[in-house]
Amino acid sequence: MQTPTIPGNETAAESARPLVVALLGAGAISRVHASAWKELGAEVLVYSAAGAQELAEQYGLEVVDTLQEALRRADCVDIVTPTGTHRALARAAIDAGKNIVCEKPLTLSARESREVYDAAREAGVHIYPAHVVRFTAPYVAAHRAVVAGRIGKVAVARFFRGGSSPAVGTWFQDEAASGGIIMDLMIHDLDQARWTCGEVETVYAVQSPPTLDNVVPSFVSAHVTLTHVGGAISHIRATWGAVGTPFTTGFSIAGDAGVLHYDSTDSTGLTTSLHGAESSGLVVPTSALRESPYLTELREFAEAFTGGPEPRVNAEDGAVAVYLAQAAYQSIITGRVVDMNEFDHAQAAAA
Amino acid sequence: MSRKAALKVAIASFAHTHAASYVSVLARVPDVDVRASDPHGADAPDSALRGAELAERLGVDYVDTYDELFAWEPDAVIVATENSRHRALVERAAREGVHVLCEKPLATTVADGEAMVEACRAAGVILMIAYPVRFAPGFAVMRDHLDSGRLGEMFAINGTNNGKLPREHREWFTDRQLAGGGALVDHVVHCADLIDALTGGLRAETVNAASNQILHAKAGLDVETGGLVTVRYPGGLIATIDCSWSHPSTSATWGGLTLQATGTKGSVEIAPFAEHVSGLGDDGEIFLGFGTDLNALLLAEFLDAVRTSGRPVAGQPPRVTPQPDGDVGLRTLEIMEAALRSAELRQPVALER
Repeated sequence: MQTPTIPGNETAAESARPLVVALLGAGAISRVHASAWKELGAEVLVYSAAGAQELAEQYGLEVVDTLQEALRRADCVDIVTPTGTHRALARAAIDAGKNIVCEKPLTLSARESREVYDAAREAGVHIYPAHVVRFTAPYVAAHRAVVAGRIGKVAVARFFRGGSSPAVGTWFQDEAASGGIIMDLMIHDLDQARWTCGEVETVYAVQSPPTLDNVVPSFVSAHVTLTHVGGAISHIRATWGAVGTPFTTGFSIAGDAGVLHYDSTDSTGLTTSLHGAESSGLVVPTSALRESPYLTELREFAEAFTGGPEPRVNAEDGAVAVYLAQAAYQSIITGRVVDMNEFDHAQAAAA
Repeated sequence: MSRKAALKVAIASFAHTHAASYVSVLARVPDVDVRASDPHGADAPDSALRGAELAERLGVDYVDTYDELFAWEPDAVIVATENSRHRALVERAAREGVHVLCEKPLATTVADGEAMVEACRAAGVILMIAYPVRFAPGFAVMRDHLDSGRLGEMFAINGTNNGKLPREHREWFTDRQLAGGGALVDHVVHCADLIDALTGGLRAETVNAASNQILHAKAGLDVETGGLVTVRYPGGLIATIDCSWSHPSTSATWGGLTLQATGTKGSVEIAPFAEHVSGLGDDGEIFLGFGTDLNALLLAEFLDAVRTSGRPVAGQPPRVTPQPDGDVGLRTLEIMEAALRSAELRQPVALER
């Protein structure tokens, strides 16, 4: 396995050559990845069916015309394409022996996630899912406090996430491509709930309105109830709301010795009222007051690729988050509580 | 100057802490005579002031037994007993032709609730349920946003009703026999009532609940202290309610309630107990709530209906049926009972149609 050195790694700064990243995809999320990689001093090759040229010009990337060239020249691969393509691209990168960053969800189904996870392990390739919320300041603060015992034993937690629907005439609306609201959006908080409340025992889910004929409604909410090993229970709510709804996230975690609350609309530390200013419209948890969590995340992954410590989120976490999302869809279809001990990731139908 | 005949309002039991609030509201209402009885007060295991002593403190007339209370021939009775004792008193009020305001939840079982609603219907007496939150001014705004179409089509609701462990004032709230359960009984029905009002009385289709006993585990209770309840309604509407007793004992307030409704055109969230001036003192947090007195609005609605309806006539509905009525009480009780069953089965429960 190659161990390229990245700039910023001071011990090897003299001999450092830039890390070469193959960015696969040029959609909305590619922009935050591109700017973070550039910030880290990486050389970025971009390969995409569409939009590569424009992205390259904006961020100073190099366009490559084939996947083969991208994989051949890169030290590692960053998959930021629509979810339905993750599995095939990850397999190609694994076959090429390249380490991988993969946007969440890892793949569209439990079966595919298991397959990619196994293949990567067999090939000795690292694949890290970009669960950026694990790098987002308030969630990190809460997780650390819970682990340190600040609120005692966790009893009941709530997580929510939502904003202006991205699913108005886009690929998000195609459940086969995006995985739907649970797989695409709620998966962040499924991972958070597991990270902070413990391994999941059961999953119950409802969605309104329902997905019909593979078309996710433009405006939709999903509610999931999890029970965790150790007895905690959690509620997770995700909403693709009316166009123009501000993106908000938050949580409330109650333990037997205290509670923690966070609401992104309350605790901003910066409030502006500037008439005529337009919002970026991009649904990502960034703050003007600190480093982008994407930058923190990609730095940690890059360090792990070059011999650094294991990052705070790994391939197994990415795969389990997909299992939980798929268990939620199974619960919606059957109307029953799904027991994760009986959940068969190989057999479960794709979402 | 002509004076309306005073309404005679009986308060049956001080078991529920709201009884004292009702007494203080009624003291400010003109043309109302109030008399209370709290015969089970002496049996309570907690040290809270009850019975004649509490009546004296509150400045309200007191009699020792319910027999004496009904012999006074009240126009209306406020039933504020422990939950499992609602039925006997409501049925007695119906027999004696006395209009009823009953504390929530209506009863501890749907079977009890059905009997109570039927008894009141047959006797022609008002049966109103003490759900004060639907009188919150913010809730009226929320309803208006929904009714006017500004919210679009409502597809999801999220409610929280988190309080301190109510045992600090009355131990029966954590007694399975007297209360009917724990947090699932105490705190699901308020949000369920608001949803009932928003949906025009839609009956729930399925209820799923998860509960545990991690909060206040040291108190050694045999009821659930944490709970999450998800309700599906016909047409697909989903609602989840966090009913946990998760508000820390160190807080300056009892807790609170929030309800968020999401529609195709946006969302509205209310927090009827959130309005306050905040501060810090040497002894901790200062919380100066300045929200509307919801119990006063609830009682005004009830007393108006009692006055307008006059003496009940068996077999005839009262002239005015104030909301929330017994049917609302039953529909919300169905959700509560199904939640208890679901938490036990660890699977969702479909309501019988």
